[in-house]
Amino acid sequence: MSTNGLIGRAVKRVEDKRFTTGHGNYTDDIILPQQTYAVFVRSQYAHAKIISVDTSAAKEMPGVIAIFTGADLAEVNGVPCGWQVNFKNGDTMKEPKHPLLVADKARHAGDAIAIVIAETKEQATDAAEAVMVEMEELPCVIDAAKAVQPGAPLVHDDVPDNKSFDWVLGNPIDEVNEAMSRAAHVTTLDFVNQRLVPNAIEPRSYNSSYDPASEKYTLYTSSQNPHLIRLLMCAFVLGIPEHKVRVVSPDVGGGFGSKIFHYTEEALLTWCSKKIGRPVKWTSERSESFLLDAHGRDHVTKAEMGFDAEGKILALRVKTYANLGAYLSTFSSCVPTYLHGTLLQGLYTTPKINVDVTAVFTHTTPVDAYRGAGRPEATYLLERLLDLAAHEMNVDPAELRFKNFIPPFDGVQQPGYQTQVALQYDSGNYEGVLKKGLDMLGYADVRRQQQEAAGNGKLLGVGFSTYIEACGIAPSAIVGALGCRAGLFESGQVRVQPTGKVSVYTGAHSHGQGHETTFAQVVADKLGINLEDVEVVHGDSEAVAFGMGTYGSRSLAVGGSAIIKSIDKIIEKGKKIAAHKLEASADDIEFASGRFTVKGTDKSVGFGEIALTAYVPHVYPKDLEPGLDFSSFYDPTNFTYPFGCHIAVVEVDKETGKVELKRFVAVDDVGNVINPMIVEGQIHGGLVQGIGQALFEGAEYDENGQLTNASYMDYCLPRADDLPMFETGSQVTPCPHNPLGVKGAGEAGTIGAAPAIVNAVIDALWSGGHKVKDLRMPLTSERVWHALQEVI
Amino acid sequence: MQLAGKHLIHAAPAKVWAILMNKETLAHIVPGISGLEQTGDHSFKSTLDIKLGPVSGSFTGNLQLHDLQEPNAFTLKAQQNSKMGNANAAIAISLTPVGDNDTEVMFNGDVKLSGMLASLGNRVMGGVSNTLTKQFFSNLEKELEKTTAP
Amino acid sequence: MNTSIHVTVNGVQYSHMVEPRLLLVNYLRDVLRLTGTHVGCDTSSCGACTIHLNGKATKCCTILAVQADGCEITTIEGLSHNGELHPLQEAFNECHGLQCGFCTPGMIMTAADLLQHNSQPSETDIRHALEGNFCRCTGYHNIVKSVQYAAEKISESAVAPAEVKA
Repeated sequence: MSTNGLIGRAVKRVEDKRFTTGHGNYTDDIILPQQTYAVFVRSQYAHAKIISVDTSAAKEMPGVIAIFTGADLAEVNGVPCGWQVNFKNGDTMKEPKHPLLVADKARHAGDAIAIVIAETKEQATDAAEAVMVEMEELPCVIDAAKAVQPGAPLVHDDVPDNKSFDWVLGNPIDEVNEAMSRAAHVTTLDFVNQRLVPNAIEPRSYNSSYDPASEKYTLYTSSQNPHLIRLLMCAFVLGIPEHKVRVVSPDVGGGFGSKIFHYTEEALLTWCSKKIGRPVKWTSERSESFLLDAHGRDHVTKAEMGFDAEGKILALRVKTYANLGAYLSTFSSCVPTYLHGTLLQGLYTTPKINVDVTAVFTHTTPVDAYRGAGRPEATYLLERLLDLAAHEMNVDPAELRFKNFIPPFDGVQQPGYQTQVALQYDSGNYEGVLKKGLDMLGYADVRRQQQEAAGNGKLLGVGFSTYIEACGIAPSAIVGALGCRAGLFESGQVRVQPTGKVSVYTGAHSHGQGHETTFAQVVADKLGINLEDVEVVHGDSEAVAFGMGTYGSRSLAVGGSAIIKSIDKIIEKGKKIAAHKLEASADDIEFASGRFTVKGTDKSVGFGEIALTAYVPHVYPKDLEPGLDFSSFYDPTNFTYPFGCHIAVVEVDKETGKVELKRFVAVDDVGNVINPMIVEGQIHGGLVQGIGQALFEGAEYDENGQLTNASYMDYCLPRADDLPMFETGSQVTPCPHNPLGVKGAGEAGTIGAAPAIVNAVIDALWSGGHKVKDLRMPLTSERVWHALQEVI
Repeated sequence: MQLAGKHLIHAAPAKVWAILMNKETLAHIVPGISGLEQTGDHSFKSTLDIKLGPVSGSFTGNLQLHDLQEPNAFTLKAQQNSKMGNANAAIAISLTPVGDNDTEVMFNGDVKLSGMLASLGNRVMGGVSNTLTKQFFSNLEKELEKTTAP
Repeated sequence: MNTSIHVTVNGVQYSHMVEPRLLLVNYLRDVLRLTGTHVGCDTSSCGACTIHLNGKATKCCTILAVQADGCEITTIEGLSHNGELHPLQEAFNECHGLQCGFCTPGMIMTAADLLQHNSQPSETDIRHALEGNFCRCTGYHNIVKSVQYAAEKISESAVAPAEVKA
C-alpha cells in the first residue's frame, strides 16, 4: 500500500486553532431556544432515610417551571451496569437499582433527591434552597474491608455483607500455596491504593431537548462515547426508541474515564425535556463533580510474592477488597476484576498466580474506570513488590527484573505469551525498555549521587516500574464470555466526495487525544492525498453510524483499524473503476501515492479523477455501483499490550520529609506510532496523573461519609511548579494483530508512574537506614517525615 | 470533629450554672445567636448567623440541655441545619469548683458535619470552633460581670 | 434592582442592565456569548476563566459583572488581531501545548500576562506563573515549552510583545 510519509510524522494538530482562539464548542457553551436550567437538591448525608420532601414553597418561587422528586420517577428504571461478574459460586453479582432520583434513602453524600427546573440557573438555585427535605441520618460505612464485617451498616437492604460479588482468577490456590511454601524469600505488602477524583477540567454538562412534532430528542452531552450513552439510555433506562434520540458529544474538556459512564443526570434531563416541552441544561459545579463523577481506584490489598534462592519469582498471591461506592457504575465491576486480576502476570514469568477480589458497596461516590482502570492497581501491586523484594533480598531492583522478564517475542515468528491469568500477550521486548531506561538515566551515576547525597541532609532515591497494560479494548467474543454486556468493536466510515475530498466518520471520540489529526494522517497517507483534504467527524450519533467510544487506549487500535478496512474497500473499488478507464484488468492495477497504475506501464489515473468518475459514472463498469463511500466495523482478535519502563529519581529532605521529583525517565513501547508528538503528549499527561496519585491526590472521607476535600482548596491537583521536564524515550514492538501495528498510548503514563515514585521515595529512605515497607499515597511531607522518625 | 477544652471562670459553679440555665443570658452567650425561643424546660429553637471561613450561613435548629446535675454537669445537644450543611453536636460540660470562688468549665464532645460544611469547610472548622469557643467564654464572663456589677 | 454597567470587551463597548449577583464570567459567556472563557471550578482555583481586566490576568469566576463596570476587558477571542494569531496561540499549536483545549484560553491569557512583564522567563518563572492554572491533559511539559517558544518568537521579531489590549 502506498504511503506519502504522513504516518509517523509529528504533524501539528488541525483541531488546535478553535481551542487557542476561544472557538471550541463545549456542551455548556450551547444555549438552545427556550432554554431552561436545572439544579439538583442533593443529600447532605452519606446514609439517610428520606422522611419527606416538600416542594410546595419552591414551586411558587419566581421562574420555576417544574420540580420532580423520586416519587415522580417510581416507574423509571435506574442506570445500568454494563458488565456482569459472577460470584465464585456462580451466582450473578448483586446489582441494586441506581435510581435517577432517590425516593427512599440516600446512599452517598450527593445522591440526588429532587431536580428543580427554572427559567434561569439563579432562579433554579433559589428554588432548590426552598425545597424542604426531612431526613433521618443512619450509620454509614466507608472502608471496603470494614463493609464486609458482620454488623456493618448495609448500603442496600437486599445485599448481605455489602458484597456485590467475590471473584477469583489464576491457578488453583492449592498450587499457589504449595509454590509459595517452597520460596526462599516471601515479600509481603499490605497496602491501600487510594481513591482518586478524576477531575477533568470541564465539568460534566448535559443539555436535552424534545421536539414534539418529530417526537425526537436531542441530547448534548460531555461524554466520551455518545452512541453508548444513547444505547444504554434508550434500551435500559427510558425505554424510548433509539432512532428517536440524537446524542451529540461536541468538544469535551477531558474525560480520563469519568465521562464514559451513563450518569443519572443524562437520563433524567432527557426525561424532563419531554415532560416540560423545553430544553433543559445542567452543568455540574465543581463541588458536585467531586461528589458525583465516578471516582477511581480504592483497593485495600494484601499481596505476597515468593522467590527462590536465585531471585526467580515462584508465586504471587493477592487478596483485594475493591470499593465500588454506593452503586454499580457502568463499568465498575470489570475494573477490579478483568482489568486488574488479568494483569498480575506483569512482565514476569511467575508460574503460579492467584488473585481473589471481593467487590463491596459502601456509602461513598461510585467508583469506576479512571485513566488506567485496574491496570494501575495491578502495576502498583507488582512493582512495589519487586522493589521491596530487591531491598529485602539486597539485590539490585533492575537486576531482579532482568532475571524475571518474559523473553522477547514478536507474536509472528514467536507465539504470543500465555499468562496464568487468562490473557495472551501479543508481542513484547521487556528487557529492551529497561535497558534503554537505564541508559537514559545513567544508572551507575545516579547510584553514585545517591551515596554522595546522604552526606548533605538529603536522601536520594531511585524507583522503578516496568509495566504492561491491556489496551485496544476489546475483542467482543472474549469480553462477552467474561460478562461484558456490549460488543467492543468500532465503526469507521470513509466517504470520498466527488471532488476527491474525504470525510471520515469514526465511532471513537476525541476529547483531547487529537483524533482529527491522527486519523486524518492515516487516511491521507493511505490514499496518497493531502492532510487538508481529509476531515474527521466524530461525536454525533446522527452523523456516525455507530461507535463504542474512546477509553481503554482503544481509538486507533480499534477505530483506526475500522477506518483501514474502509480504505481497503475504497482502493479495491477504485481499482475497478481505474481498470475500466485504463482498459486493463483490475488485477493489474496497483495503487501508490494517490495514483492507480497499470502494472509495468506508465498508464495511470489519479485518485481525484477516480472519485469524480465514481459520482459521474458516464464511463463506468457495467456491474459496479456508483459512489465511493464505505463503512466498516472492526472487532479486534485480541487486546493490545503496550509496556514500558518508568524510572523516578527523588530527593527527600531529611528534616521536613518533603519529596522533590528530580527526574522522571519514561521509555514506552506503544507499538507503531502514527504521530510521535501526540503520543509523547499522551505520555506526559498520563505521567502527571500517576505522579499526582503518588504525591498529591486522594479523596478523604470522614467517618460520617463526608468527602472532606471536595474542592481545589483541599484536593491537591498537580500544578506546573510541582513538576520537572520529563525525559521520554520509545521503543517500537509492533502489534501483530491489527493493520496499523499500534497498541495505544492513552493510559501508559498513568499506569507506570505511581509505583516508580513511591519506590524511589522508599529507596531514598532505605539509603538512609529507614527500612520502611510501605508508605501510604499520597506521599505528603508529613507521612514521609513520620517514616523518617521511625527506624534508623 | 472532636471539641474539647477547659476554661477557668471567676465565679462559683452555682452562679455559672444559673447563667447557663437562663434563656435570656444564654441568648447573649452563644455566639452568633439571633433568635432563641424556649420550647420546653430545657429545649430551645434557635437561629444562628455564623461565618465560617469561606462560607457563611444562617443555621436554624434545636438546642437541648440533657443529663442535668445541678450545679456540676450537663450535656448540650444541638441540631443545626443550614443550606450549606448541617451540624449535629453532643457536648458534655462539667463545672468543677476551684478554690472558693472559681469554676473550671470543661467541655468534651463531638460535632458531626455534613454537606458543604463538611466538604468545603472541614479544613477551617478547627479554627472556627476555637474562635466560637473563645467568644462563648468571653461572653459568659461579660454576663457574669453584669450580674456582679452593683 | 438591576444595575447598569458599561464595559469595553475586545475593543467593543457594551452597556447592559445586569443582576447584581451576575458573575463576570457568566456575563461574558451568557450575555455577550463569548464562550472561550470557561468555568472549571467556581472558586478561582483552576484558572480556566482567566481574562485580562484592565490589562491584568484575572480569574473572572469570582468577580461580579458590576465590579467590572468601566473596565477594559480582553478575552481569548480578542487576543488575535485581523486574523493574525498571538505568538502564544501559535506556540501552543507548534509545541502541542494543549489537548482537550478547555484550560487553554485561561492558560494563554495567564502566559500573555507573564510575557508582558517578563519577556525572557526561565522555566522556573513560567512554572511559577502558571501554577494557578490547572491542566489535566498535558502534564504542563509542553505548555512550558509553548511559553518558551512564544517568548523566543517575540524577542526574535524584535518588537515589544503584541499589545494585549484592545
